[in-house]
Amino acid sequence: MSITRPFKATDMFKFNNINLDVWTETYGIGFYLSYLSRWPDMCVVEESPSGQLMGYVIAKSEGSGTDWHGHITALTISPPYRRLSLASRLCSFLALISSSTYKNFYIDLYVRCANTIAIGFYEREGYSVYRRVREYYGSLGVGRGGRDEEDAFDMRMPLQRDRERRSVRPGGRDIVVSAEEVS
Amino acid sequence: MSAGALERQIRPIYDALDTGSNKSAIVACNKLLKKNPKNELIKALKALALVRSQKVEESLVLCDEVLESKPTNEGVLTAMMHVLRGLGRHNDLVTMFEEAFKKQPSNEDLGIQTFLANVRAGNWKSAHLTATRMYKQFQEERYLYWSIISAVLQARDPTTPDNMRSILFKLAHRLITGSPTPSYVNAERFHLHLSILRELELWEEADKLLDSDVGKNICSTSLVCNEVRREIWHRQGRRQQEAERAEKLIVEKKDRNWLEFLAILDATLPAGASTGAEVEAQVSRARELFENVVKEDGAKDRSGHLALVDLEHRARTHGVTTDSARLTTSLKKYFEHFGSKACCFEDLKAYTGDRNGLEDFITVLDSVPDTFTNSAQLLTLINSYKLLRLSLPESEITFESELKRVANYTKHYFEALPLGDDLPATELQPADDLMLLAGNAYISLWKLTNDETHIFNAVHLLEFGVTKSKHCFLARLILIRIYRLLGSPSSALEHYRIMQIKQVQHDTLSHLLLSRASTFSLASTGDLTLSSECQEATQIYLSNSQETGEFVSRAFNVEKYSQIPEFLLFEDWLDNSLQRDLMKIEHLRMRLTHEPINSDIIDMELIELKFIFDRNHYDNRDFAIFPDYQPKIQPSLHEQTTLFGKSEGTGWLMTFLKLYIRAFQQASDLDDTVEEKLLIGDRPKQTANQGKRAPLKERLLEKNEEHLTELTADEKKLFEYATCLADWLEPYHDYTRPPPAVVLAEAARQTELKTGHPLKGIDTSPLNGLNGHKKDEEPPAIQDPPELLTTFFADIQERFKDALGRASVTELLHIATLAQEAFLLFVTETVRFKVSSVVKLNKLGALVASFKDVRAAGVSALKEISSELVKQSEYYGTTESRQSFVDSGSKAFEPKIDHDVVFTQTKKINDSRRKVLEGVGKGIARLATTYAT
Ligand SMILES: CC(C)(COP(=O)(O)OP(=O)(O)OC[C@H]1O[C@@H](n2cnc3c(N)ncnc32)[C@H](O)[C@@H]1OP(=O)(O)O)[C@@H](O)C(=O)NCCC(=O)NCCS
Repeated sequence: MSITRPFKATDMFKFNNINLDVWTETYGIGFYLSYLSRWPDMCVVEESPSGQLMGYVIAKSEGSGTDWHGHITALTISPPYRRLSLASRLCSFLALISSSTYKNFYIDLYVRCANTIAIGFYEREGYSVYRRVREYYGSLGVGRGGRDEEDAFDMRMPLQRDRERRSVRPGGRDIVVSAEEVS
Repeated sequence: MSAGALERQIRPIYDALDTGSNKSAIVACNKLLKKNPKNELIKALKALALVRSQKVEESLVLCDEVLESKPTNEGVLTAMMHVLRGLGRHNDLVTMFEEAFKKQPSNEDLGIQTFLANVRAGNWKSAHLTATRMYKQFQEERYLYWSIISAVLQARDPTTPDNMRSILFKLAHRLITGSPTPSYVNAERFHLHLSILRELELWEEADKLLDSDVGKNICSTSLVCNEVRREIWHRQGRRQQEAERAEKLIVEKKDRNWLEFLAILDATLPAGASTGAEVEAQVSRARELFENVVKEDGAKDRSGHLALVDLEHRARTHGVTTDSARLTTSLKKYFEHFGSKACCFEDLKAYTGDRNGLEDFITVLDSVPDTFTNSAQLLTLINSYKLLRLSLPESEITFESELKRVANYTKHYFEALPLGDDLPATELQPADDLMLLAGNAYISLWKLTNDETHIFNAVHLLEFGVTKSKHCFLARLILIRIYRLLGSPSSALEHYRIMQIKQVQHDTLSHLLLSRASTFSLASTGDLTLSSECQEATQIYLSNSQETGEFVSRAFNVEKYSQIPEFLLFEDWLDNSLQRDLMKIEHLRMRLTHEPINSDIIDMELIELKFIFDRNHYDNRDFAIFPDYQPKIQPSLHEQTTLFGKSEGTGWLMTFLKLYIRAFQQASDLDDTVEEKLLIGDRPKQTANQGKRAPLKERLLEKNEEHLTELTADEKKLFEYATCLADWLEPYHDYTRPPPAVVLAEAARQTELKTGHPLKGIDTSPLNGLNGHKKDEEPPAIQDPPELLTTFFADIQERFKDALGRASVTELLHIATLAQEAFLLFVTETVRFKVSSVVKLNKLGALVASFKDVRAAGVSALKEISSELVKQSEYYGTTESRQSFVDSGSKAFEPKIDHDVVFTQTKKINDSRRKVLEGVGKGIARLATTYAT
């Protein structure tokens, strides 16, 4: 139960309760503005009836040919509002936009291999690991997670347009590539 | 030299600029300029390198030369664009591109640059005209839309007179309906169209667009368009239709967007609805709908449940029903289903603050078992605690009852910890909220008794808590507040740093550390920690002015019209942020304690403060972030833990601005006419009412009682003192200050010495005759210093003595730093009269003689205060100073928290207090010595 509405530039003044979180990065203002200036329809917040922000998603559309895809750059829910299907709702909305407005073939995202909760969540949403990217992130400094802290899973979910499901494959967790190969 | 050869030689200059090697860029430019003294590009690049190395005056000379040549070359224009932006000369940038575009009207790129330069300068009218011209010339529809949104933005600009607004909206409307392809080809144009119709209240036309298939289609995926649609319907009073649409979405599409539920609630019981059979029937219809949703969703989604609570709550407030049974039932049902979700408290907060009529629900909350074996049971208990605490009546907020509560929260906290044992270190602990509740209750106990033991205990518990739940930022927020209250700034800083506040958070959250930071500043002893925190936090405003405008341009280029007004709003809020200028004042207060007080610092600060004084401020500070679990009838946690119980707002800011602007104006030789001539860059835009307001001088003297309520009693005294000081010295300053012509000539001379070029448009001749100018009039009669001034320092010394042993460390620091500030203001106001030739020439010997006593009183008070502070600091090094806190902490938390931990923690706080008391004390003594004569 929440209000789904567009992410606005001024929401940057209100997102502390979401961003004060280990898994959530606060980027420079240029980061948010660059997404808003190109993919405003892929930047969405969930707001509580009392006007508090509860979570948001920031995404973009990129690639060419059959690689034309949506990409989730940030998805995060403020801790007290977790486990209320909010992230799930944001994901479905994004899939709708990605599919209908942008005509993407699939959606992808990167997630730290240590972030098991998020990985489990995405799997339930229909994403699967496409490959493992070595040292994609800087160290989080959260403990002895080793490799899993710096490596990322590239996870993907095919959309309607990818009828033959070419954007996904089994056994992705064991296919390892270096960070240079993906960027 | 051939063009190609020259180009090859210029390349390295670009490389140098790109890598930030401005020095070598300048060297390379100089070399090339020798052979090509007329080359505009090299000049422009040199100007850029100069600006970037802060050599503003030198750069200005070149900059003006290039501008005079009216360049059209792309490289020159681009370089100059960066130069002019660096200098804040957006208006000159506009002129430059306009001239170039005039010379080459078929150059589309120049058209775009001209348009965007106007956008950056906020010249909507010229932007509109440029876009119109471009549309005619290049026949691209994008430019038509640029002209349309420029008209809309002009209409919304605060400088636009009211009667022009609708004319502009009508113009925009005419243009958009005349577009060759309809606006609905894309969502962004459609959004613009809808917004214009909304402004003009052209409902029929709006409905036609919205009811069309394309319109519906766009609104189903574009949230921005759907938002305007909602508003259009709402403004038309089409509540019923909106409710029908919402019902369909809820029932058929299973849409659970709360806005749809609100649509139904608003249609059923709008604000100010009457009562009667008809309303009752509507209420039961809505009830039925929501009950069906509840049946369908169960515990899967809480919309239906909360809609029922909201409906019954409205019904009760509107008097549709008088008994609360239904509300209670719906609350109970909600709690039954979602009591174990963390959001429950936030959801129900608005409905349960008052126990009246909700006794049954309170009973349910009271009967939640306080034993638990899993997180769901624990969360239910926590929610019941939070809701019960929220609705506590006055009679139950007593020392004894709070003590009992705190013991209870703490006990359960320790019991609950094992439930999170298996969670990864990155997760929050389910028990965390119990520690936060205890933190709230401890603060409440402190408020009830004024006994610091309670907040020491809060520290012990919360510090323990963050070792168990490393990422529990909410605990750190309370800790930061408590440490400041206790006068332990280094511990506050430690937690602030762990939170890694960055980027825009510097605007919203730096208040945690920097509000009234000068109280704890050791800048007077050379420790610039807090002052650098201010500077670091200030970077965000620089990024804003450098980056946001760029994204406005990008949004134009890719036609994301919906974002343009939002970006402009964002830019404006950040640029005119209250926190920005509160920090500015704090930084200034710290600066004056460690830099020599002379005309450099005075002039520079004066100009900046005057800019700030004209701003309309926005308060972006985030105070909602605190985990506030205090009873509704009490002040919030934020209010309770605000330093000195007074939060600074616009009133505080305006008061301190007045104080410093007046002091600096008197001390400075820069009067308005001089400043006007010397200032580089654009002036801030005047809003429509600003044009009509009183001159600065009068506004500085305006008394505003409301503003003063944001000051502490001691700050008020400082303000009175400063006003009195300024009133007394004003005539002598005005008499002594050299005439503008002389000041300007001197500035020109300095510039010439520095750059080899005279300042443009300034006559240097007065130097020859008027330097030791003779006055026609006699100096104003010398008045004795007013009484308030002569007694101020003795009074504040008395106040400080009286506070010793009674007041908190923080309060002592407050009084001490204000005494220091008063003294430095006196120093500032009297620097002018330090030069004996000036005194002699102006016959002000008697005045200067009368400074002596005031200064001596200041020095003696400061020395006294300083030595007392140092004495106090020694006390905080002793065992005695911590014994009672250690004992109380051990009693409350052993064996869960080890005695040693409590001891170390207490010692740490007292060490930090010792350090700040000693530092501030010694700094005060240092300043008293520096300015003793
Ligand atoms: C990952 C995250 C976005 C999930 O948000 P959410 O709103 O709580 O997720 P939902 O309620 O939509 O969860 C849907 C399902 O995912 C699974 N899931 C989500 N969080 C889970 C958790 N903590 N433990 C186990 N399963 C979980 C569950 O199956 C859940 O369904 P259920 O509640 O009916 O059992 C949220 O935990 C978060 O913001 N994390 C921090 C930021 C982050 O890691 N982002 C991802 C990297 S880009």
